[in-house]
This record gives sequence, C-alpha cells and structure tokens, in this order.
Amino acid sequence: MFDLIVIGAGPGGYEAAAHAGSLGKRVAVVEKAELGGTCLNVGCIPAKTFLRSSRLFREYREAAAFGIIVNAPSFDLPALVARKDSVVGTLKRGVSALLRDTSVEVLHGTGRLVGRNAVEVDGERHEAANILVASGSRPAVPPIPGIDGERVLDSTSAFQLTAVPERIAIIGGGYIGLEFASFFHEIGTKVTVYEALPMIASGCDGDIADELLKILRRGGIEFHLSCSVLGIEGSTLRYQDAGGAPESDSATYILNATGRTPVVSDLGLEEAGVDVSARGIRVDEQGRTNVPNIWACGDVTGRHMLAHMAVREGIVAVNSMFGRPDRMRYDAVPAVIYSHPEVAMVGKTEEELKAAAIDYRKAVVPMALAGRFLVEHVKETGLVKVLAGAAHGEILGVHAIGDLSSEFIVAAGAMIEAEMTLAQASEIIFPHPTVAEALRAAILKAQ
Amino acid sequence: MATPVEMPKLGNTVEQCLLVAWHKRKGDAVCAGDILAEMETDKATFDLTAPSDGTVLEVFFDDGAMVPVFTNVCVIGEVGEAIEEYRPKTPVPSATAGTASISSSGNAPAAPAQPGTAGVAVSPAPDGGADLAMSTPRSNGAWFATQPATPPENIAVPVGRMSPRARRFADEHSFQPSRLPGSGPDGRILERDVRAQLASTQPVSRAARSLMDSGYEIRGAGTGVGGMIRTSDLVPPPVRFTGMRERIARRMEESLASTAQYTLHASADATGLLALRREIKASPGTPDITINDLVAFCAIQAVLEVPAVNAELIEGRLYQRAHVNLGFACDTARGLVVPVVHRSEELSVAELSGRMSALTTQAVEGTLGADDMVDATFTLSNLGGLGVESFTPVINPPQVAILGVDAITLRPVRKSDGGIDFVDVIGLSATFDHQVIDGAPGARFLNVVKEKIASVQSLCSI
Repeated sequence: MFDLIVIGAGPGGYEAAAHAGSLGKRVAVVEKAELGGTCLNVGCIPAKTFLRSSRLFREYREAAAFGIIVNAPSFDLPALVARKDSVVGTLKRGVSALLRDTSVEVLHGTGRLVGRNAVEVDGERHEAANILVASGSRPAVPPIPGIDGERVLDSTSAFQLTAVPERIAIIGGGYIGLEFASFFHEIGTKVTVYEALPMIASGCDGDIADELLKILRRGGIEFHLSCSVLGIEGSTLRYQDAGGAPESDSATYILNATGRTPVVSDLGLEEAGVDVSARGIRVDEQGRTNVPNIWACGDVTGRHMLAHMAVREGIVAVNSMFGRPDRMRYDAVPAVIYSHPEVAMVGKTEEELKAAAIDYRKAVVPMALAGRFLVEHVKETGLVKVLAGAAHGEILGVHAIGDLSSEFIVAAGAMIEAEMTLAQASEIIFPHPTVAEALRAAILKAQ
Repeated sequence: MATPVEMPKLGNTVEQCLLVAWHKRKGDAVCAGDILAEMETDKATFDLTAPSDGTVLEVFFDDGAMVPVFTNVCVIGEVGEAIEEYRPKTPVPSATAGTASISSSGNAPAAPAQPGTAGVAVSPAPDGGADLAMSTPRSNGAWFATQPATPPENIAVPVGRMSPRARRFADEHSFQPSRLPGSGPDGRILERDVRAQLASTQPVSRAARSLMDSGYEIRGAGTGVGGMIRTSDLVPPPVRFTGMRERIARRMEESLASTAQYTLHASADATGLLALRREIKASPGTPDITINDLVAFCAIQAVLEVPAVNAELIEGRLYQRAHVNLGFACDTARGLVVPVVHRSEELSVAELSGRMSALTTQAVEGTLGADDMVDATFTLSNLGGLGVESFTPVINPPQVAILGVDAITLRPVRKSDGGIDFVDVIGLSATFDHQVIDGAPGARFLNVVKEKIASVQSLCSI
C-alpha cells in the first residue's frame, strides 16, 4: 500500500512524487514513456536547446557588428539533435537521481485507475491511499483534412529533422508556433505562420503581442492572421485569409502547432467517477477532483499548460493530501514565449483588467533604457509594461518583450505575490547594468 | 429529589461554554454553593456551583468539552435516584467527540484541550493521520502553520497562564501567543487576547492595509505567501440602509410579522385587454391608457363588488372602508414608492389612467406630496412588465389584501370540438390576510377580478 501513486513522470508528477517522498511518504510514480514527460523530452528543454543554437547561428552572421569577423557559418542539424539528446539525457539522469534520493519507486508501464485507491500498471495492481493524475497533454490535432499527412510535423517530430528545410508552413501563432517560427527563421528556413485569430500570442498583453508581431514581420517571417486553413495535400496547404478567396502555398513541411490537449483517455477516469471532459480534469485550488483520494495537477487539468505551474500544483496537492495547508494562487503565474525576441509576462494583462472593470494605471518603457540591453544587442528593441491598481498602486501585471526578460520576470512575480505597491517596489535595488533595470524604469514611470 | 445542573447562558451571544475542569467527581458529596466545575466563555471564566446539598450522581461531560448553553452537565441528588431523564437528548460529546464535532464544522482537527498537558499544535489522528487531515481540510487555513510532525517544544505560555479556550483557539490556528500578560484575571491570557495577537501579527500587504484603513474587513485567513492578507481577502464594510430603504425594510418585516399572509394565483383571459389596448393605440387623440391602467380599473370594480378586501385591521378591530383608495407600487431609483389614488372608484378609466400616470411621474422624480402616499385601502403591484409569471405580493398593513399582476402569456385551451386553441392570459397573484379573509372568499374575489378583466371591453367605454 503506497501513500501516493503519481500517474505521469512529467515535471508536475516527478516533483510531486519527490516532494511526497521527502516528507517520508511511500510513493510510486508511473511512467509509460520517459522520465521528465513532455517538457524534458519533447517540449521546453528541446525547444530551448534548438533556440540556443539558432540564436548563436544568427549572432555569428551578425558578429561583424560586434567587431568579430567570422567566415560564413553553416548549420549542422544532426549535431544539434545530438546536443539536444545529450542535454535531455543529463536532465533525465537528474530526475532519476532525485526520485532515488527521495525513495520514490518508478513503475514503468501504462497506469490506469481501478477504483479510487488502486492503479493498475500493465496488469499489475498497486494500492494507494492517494492517487495524483499528472498524465499531461499531447499535441492537439485540429479537424483539418490532410492533417495526418506525412509532410505534416508536430512539436514532437519537428525535433527529429535531419536537414534544414527550405520552407515551413506553421499552423498556429501561439507560443509553440512562434518558438518554432523563430528557430526555423534563424536557421535559414522561409517561415509562414497561419493563425486563426486576428492576433498572435493569444493570451498575451495586446501591446506586447502587437510589438512581437511587428518585430517578427520586420525580421522576415510571414504571417496570415484571421486565416482558416482549409486542407493539406502532400506539402501544399490551402488556406483562406479573412474575406479573401481560397489560396494555396507549398512548403517543405507543414508544422501543426495548434496547441495541446489534455491526456484523459484510457486512464480509467470515467470509471472512477472523476469529473473529466475533453478540456481536462476539474480540480479545486488544492488539486482535489470530485472523487476523494484522487487528485490531479498540470496539463491534464487543462488550464495554462505550463511546466512550472504543474510543479506548483503538484506540490500543493501533495501538501494538501498530507494535511499541510497550501493552496494554488493563479494571479502570479509567469509565462514565457522563447521566441526571438522572447516575451515574459506575469499577472493581469491590460485586456483582462479592462474586462474586469479594474481601474489601473500603466507605464510602457523601451528596453533600451537599460544600458545592458544596448550592450547585448545591435538593432533589437524591446518593451517593459507595468500595470498597477489606480487607487493603491499595487502591481497587477508586468509584461516584457526583449531577450533576457525571462530571467527577471520572477522578480515581478514576487512583487505581485507580495501585492507590492509601485512605491514599495521602487525601494528595491536593481543591479546595474542589467536588462532588469528596464523593469525599474517602468515601475518609476508608473508611479 | 435529583436536581439537574445546567450550563447557564452568560451573555446574549454565548451559545456554548467550555467545561474547563471538574472540581467534583461522580460520587462526591457536595453542599449548596460548592464549586462543581470551572467554565469559560470566550469572554470570561466562571464557576458552576451546586444548587443544593447532595451527591454528584452523574456527570454528562468530560473536562475540555464544549457544552451548549441550557444543557444539563450533571445531576445532584440522593444516592440511588434515577438520573436517566436528565441525560441530554443528543449524543453527549465527550471531550474528544466535542473536538471532532468542531472539526466537522470546518476547522482543523485539533487536539482536545487537555489541562495539564502541553499544547500540541495539531495532533495526528491515532490511525492514519493523513486520511483525517485530508477528509477534513483546513478551510480556515493558517498557512504559516507549524506542521503536525513538529514536536511541542518550548511552550511559550505555561499551562494555567492561558485559558484552555485561548489555547484551543491558538492550537486551531497553529499560533503561538506571546508571553505578555492577557486581559484575564492575574494577566491570564484569554481567547480574545489570542485573537487580537493573531490579527496584529498576520502580515498585511500595503494595498490591503490601505483598504482596511477605509473600512474593509478581513474575511477568513490570508491567502498570500505565508498567510499574508491581500486585497482579495478583504470585503467591503456592510452598507448602512438609507432612510427610505430602512423604512421599506421595517414595513415589510412588520407586514410579515403581524399578518397571516397567503397568496392565490389565477389567470384571466386577456384577449379583451389586448384588443382594447390595440384599439386605444390605433385611435389618435385618445388618452394613452395602458394595460396596467385597465387592470387597475377592473380591480377597483371587483373591490366594489367584494368590499371585504377593502378594509383595515387595526389592533384587532376591522374597519370597513367606504372608498377605494388605490395604492400602486412604483419602482424608483430610491426604491419602492406607493402613490395613492384616493376615491379611485369615482374616476372613469381615462381619469384613473391620467391620475396614475401623473403620480408615477412624481414618484420617479421624488416630488410626491405627503398626502399622495397615505390612506391607501387596497394595493396593486404589477411585475408583469418585468416578465414575472407569479409572485407573492406582501400586504401593506393595516390593509388586508394586495393584488399582484403578472405577465401575459399564451395558454392552450381545449375547444368545445376537442381541438386546442391558444389564448392570451394575464396572471393574477393576490395576497390576503387570513386573519380577516379565508381562502374561499379570497378565491371568490380573485374570480370577480378575472370576470372583470375578461369583460373589460364592455366595462370600459373609451
């Protein structure tokens, strides 16, 4: 009898299992594929590895501006895939060590609920006082004719390419599509993005999304907004711009980046009576499902689908199941799009504040106010936007576009968590010279 | 004869008291005035004394139990007397059970207060503490709680210096009060001291502090990092009724408290009403008489036919009123206003319509004279315009009846040939004071109203 069985060894699952293990609980984690889940194997980590190389490749091409003369570089995609595999391997060994150190038993196989206190792993039954479902998500497959064609990639197969494609058509202008767009663009592929909404980076603050679109278009990525993809035949994509006639375009590959969908099937959830739909498992702010002893965290709950949120949700669920008061707060969840330039955000967007009729004040400053930003870049631009309550000046949202913003957004998250006012935040000392000083400038301006 | 001793009620708001410790045990001989046990409310401690000489025949609660007021706690009498009839009806909670019952109301599973033992923050259940904690989560969450595993080292306040009730509160909030003297006798720390300390030591964000300064109040525990109170944990202060709202509130409460109201629902054929209204709209030069005006006119005619509803009940005397002073409910920005058409039975439908229209305008503008709002003998309330299909109007005492007018809806009716026809009907909801008007007479009045409305075209000459 385990105190806890976790289904899924992605970030939400393995961190939760390790946390429970460190509390002295008897814990098992079930994984049907690789430790680390989507994030580590086919998501965040591979994507960032790829983007690191594409950035370096671009920087080499632009090195003359920094006073470095290099011969024309070329891109070795198989070498990049090998490096990615090496990085992933190192991190996976880290996960394995973490689970070993916290005495978590790893059950390899496909887990399935049998009742509210047992999990069957490839036919073998294991009992547990608590079950945490952290089964994650998989790439969504939209109902587009030909989406299953052999020239169509998804975010998993895109990491296995062996040659730089000449042209790529990306369906979806969300964070996955935009990160791949930046990568392929930088390694020399002609990139076109087809987005159904009138705006890219859905969920981002409008000013930031506008700026990102402007910068990416200026760089040479083509965007079709408010665009319907009608069908795919071989490597030809048929689409229709808003109000326009059907057109077609061909590309070496077509990348389906239309989002992700929770993995809720074949887990025995319905049979156990868990409140679940195609949009995910419904849980409360401690991660409880409607069925006692069954908990869920991460992508399978269908909320933000962010690895770091899954981690926190898993830990909150573990604390709650073992009587340690804890709860999720969703008003300071940072998110990053690792496009080039990268976008980092935390808290409310201006659109959300308007919709909620919250009175606010705002300040938008160029990243170039920070000396370090100018040092790091040649022609890139960026913005930092701060939103604060009109009456008391409590910081409600911080949105940034510009490289390195992902590394300082946590400071803004801490300010929001602490419900810090602009006046209080302006007492904080920012190291100089850092890009983070743009945040300080925005805070001072908003005051 | 055996005498039960009950938990007294000390103070209007005290619903239960903590039985701190028995000074006498079962079988002890006592004299009148002897201290039986030490009790404690959230404000004070007191001694429970023996009302008569005798022997303690039975005690129904253990030390540390929460005892509802007016509940027997023990019985004193002569050895051998029966005591069962005095045993509290509901299952008697022992010290531990008493704690469990508190847990189930949403608080943490806390250790039973045990005088003489160290205050453990949260005691794990004997078997499977995790299960218990999970099934009764801390909804009042003190996020900065010490963990169940934490040993009860260095008790800040020695037992005895802190009342058990205060200790229980502190335990439930995993809070360790300071050693400062409390406000009880000899500096004893009472629950209110711990509450105050907890409130003053909870971290509060600057923005939340500003809101609190403007009167906002804390609702539950802080939900921020480390239990910090954030703006979302605050609620606005209660709003004081304005003069008019207060008057309405008082009148409505008096109405329901002083009468025996019941409501009958029926509906009348509205074909004539709608036809007449179309006719009025189609004839330029005629006054703009609304459906509501027409229904008011019909109601007045019905009241004249059933005068029992046109009466006032004042201090047990029924006053029959000669004139129909028709009050009608008006929705205004400041709340409900009821202007009165005096001697409404003397007006033609056009005159009635003109008068109601003028009074409505004045009500909305707030320019009604005092005379226009008094002496109503019967009231009309129309929510049909808002789509309401039936409701329970509240009588305006000392009146004895009120007629509510509902929306016009389509209803299928069986034709004589067996087929189905659709007819427009208007709903009627009449409330009567049963002290004066029984069900059948009320129903008869409602039938008269139905007849008048069904024959409105012949009743009203436009």
